[in-house]
Amino acid sequence: MAMKIGRREFFKKSAQAGLALAVGRELAAAGGKPAGAGLAAKAVVVGVGIGADYEKAALKAVELLGGIKKFVPKNARVALLPNVQSRHPGSFTKPEVLRAVIKLCKKAGAKEINCLSWQPVKQWEDTGLKAVIDAEGVGLKLFEKDEALFKAVPVPGGLALTGARILADLYDHDLLINMPITKDHAGNKFTGTMKNLMGLNSPVNNRTFHRPNWKTDPNDVAHLEQSIVDLNKAVKPALNVVDATEFIVTNGPFGPGQLLRPEKVVAGTDRVAVDAYCAGLWGLEPKDIVQIKRASEQGLGEINLDKVVVREENV
Amino acid sequence: MTAARGFRATLFLMGLFVAGAWAASGLFKEGPLRAYLPADNAVEGWAKDGEPQEYEDEDLYTYIDGGAEIYQEYGFRRVILQDYKDPKGKSVSLEIFEMETPAAAFGMFTFKRSGTGKTVSFGGGAELEAYYMNFWKGRFLVTLTGFDEARETIDGLLAVGGVVDSKIRDAGAVPGLVGALPEKGLISGSVKYLKGLLGLNNIYPFYTARGLGFAEAARGVYENGATLLILDYGTADARARAWLDLKAHLAGSDKFTAGTGGSPAVFRVLDGKGQHVAIAGSGPRLLIGISAVKDAAFDIVRRASHLTARPG
Repeated sequence: MAMKIGRREFFKKSAQAGLALAVGRELAAAGGKPAGAGLAAKAVVVGVGIGADYEKAALKAVELLGGIKKFVPKNARVALLPNVQSRHPGSFTKPEVLRAVIKLCKKAGAKEINCLSWQPVKQWEDTGLKAVIDAEGVGLKLFEKDEALFKAVPVPGGLALTGARILADLYDHDLLINMPITKDHAGNKFTGTMKNLMGLNSPVNNRTFHRPNWKTDPNDVAHLEQSIVDLNKAVKPALNVVDATEFIVTNGPFGPGQLLRPEKVVAGTDRVAVDAYCAGLWGLEPKDIVQIKRASEQGLGEINLDKVVVREENV
Repeated sequence: MTAARGFRATLFLMGLFVAGAWAASGLFKEGPLRAYLPADNAVEGWAKDGEPQEYEDEDLYTYIDGGAEIYQEYGFRRVILQDYKDPKGKSVSLEIFEMETPAAAFGMFTFKRSGTGKTVSFGGGAELEAYYMNFWKGRFLVTLTGFDEARETIDGLLAVGGVVDSKIRDAGAVPGLVGALPEKGLISGSVKYLKGLLGLNNIYPFYTARGLGFAEAARGVYENGATLLILDYGTADARARAWLDLKAHLAGSDKFTAGTGGSPAVFRVLDGKGQHVAIAGSGPRLLIGISAVKDAAFDIVRRASHLTARPG
């Protein structure tokens, strides 16, 4: 079910439900520490399901992490963030991957499951994601690009951003599952878990990431990359499930472009490790991707895959 | 005719008149690119699916969120998007981009092509990939995307593209700078024509904007693995100033280390990937050879300098 939500509908709904916008939940980085700080003490695990059946591959990837119940408690309200930037093949999260994650959340006993977005409904229809959402009977909450619908969120340890503006409705959920597709990007060469969070940040705030020469002047490029890293300090997904089944490696992020088909779904909680793994799938060096390198340097995760437990299994 | 029916007919005619006047007034504006769209069944069995979408100038950012800048760098005017479908449910998406000049259309075509697709005979040049095709003609870049790789889809894609090709009258010419790439050993599908730093960064990163404000550039890859970049600054003076700036960056950058050998007229560095980079000025142009093999980088610059040497 798709629901178009403007300012009036949002505040009416929030008041009816008696919902206060949560501050300091797991969704936001708490205690002023960057999300992911202290990860070095834990074993970082990345689960990779491999196979032409993308739904099964996604199920396997999460299973290899220990199962969905590690991430989604019973009665949880779950927000999902697939990528719907374009409808060209290999440029959006596959419906099969979304279906798998919805099924997993249901299996864990989630009380409510919603895809959140400020992209128009046509994008969801053209990519086939809406059909899955409708068939599975979960929510599709589409928000107008109205700043009143976004919540000011501090960025602890932010170097380029002091604050983000996140869809307020996210804080009516208990956790976020981030579901990008990894792909080429004409500006910074790579899209993965970290850049996908721009889909939750307000378009106005996103524009501050982009200085006039954000794709060409090295200082402006660095500002964009740091802004993406900072955004990831403000919002920490409970789980990342990345579509690396087939994706464009040229003409990104919109396509059409050349498709690479590793037939993999990659899951993990450590965004840096997951992105480092995905970058390697198409021959990129993680340290050459500025956002991955900086996120690693700033404590968001592990860039060195030698220190990561990668569990791969065919389906 | 009863009075009521007569009244309804009058209302209908008035409605038609108002609609016609509205259309004629220009308030109901259909862009000029609609003239290039194939009509229903112009390709047998393929009909328009939905209404066309049109975007002009800065509106391109609405359509291509995150990917519009490269079109703007080349010089973009407008785009029209129209879907087509056949009775079996196969779909083809047609995008016609009107660029500012034929050089911009050619450049955008070279930016988007992979160089490994199948060369097909459309417009000024075309490349067919597994599920999509790009071609350029005049100041237009045409992209057709199928949503699978089935034979019927590709046949439909080629047929729809053929109709668009026939509707575009002006052919346009390949920019002259492309002819400065030495032909021997050049992999033709590797040629790229650039108008700015974003295009260049996607080919080879210098990690700076200093000295890279060229007017146009061409890139070719050779059978021996060497890459040649020719940056044209318009005048020898402009090139000389830019080269001083770029050289200062390369000398101070931790991404490059000093190279050795060759002639004094050729500046050499080694990049972070272990590739040899040889650079020389030639009139208004900067010639840059890049190769994993030291002599290959130098040789391609030397060959190009013979071709491009002319008063700046």
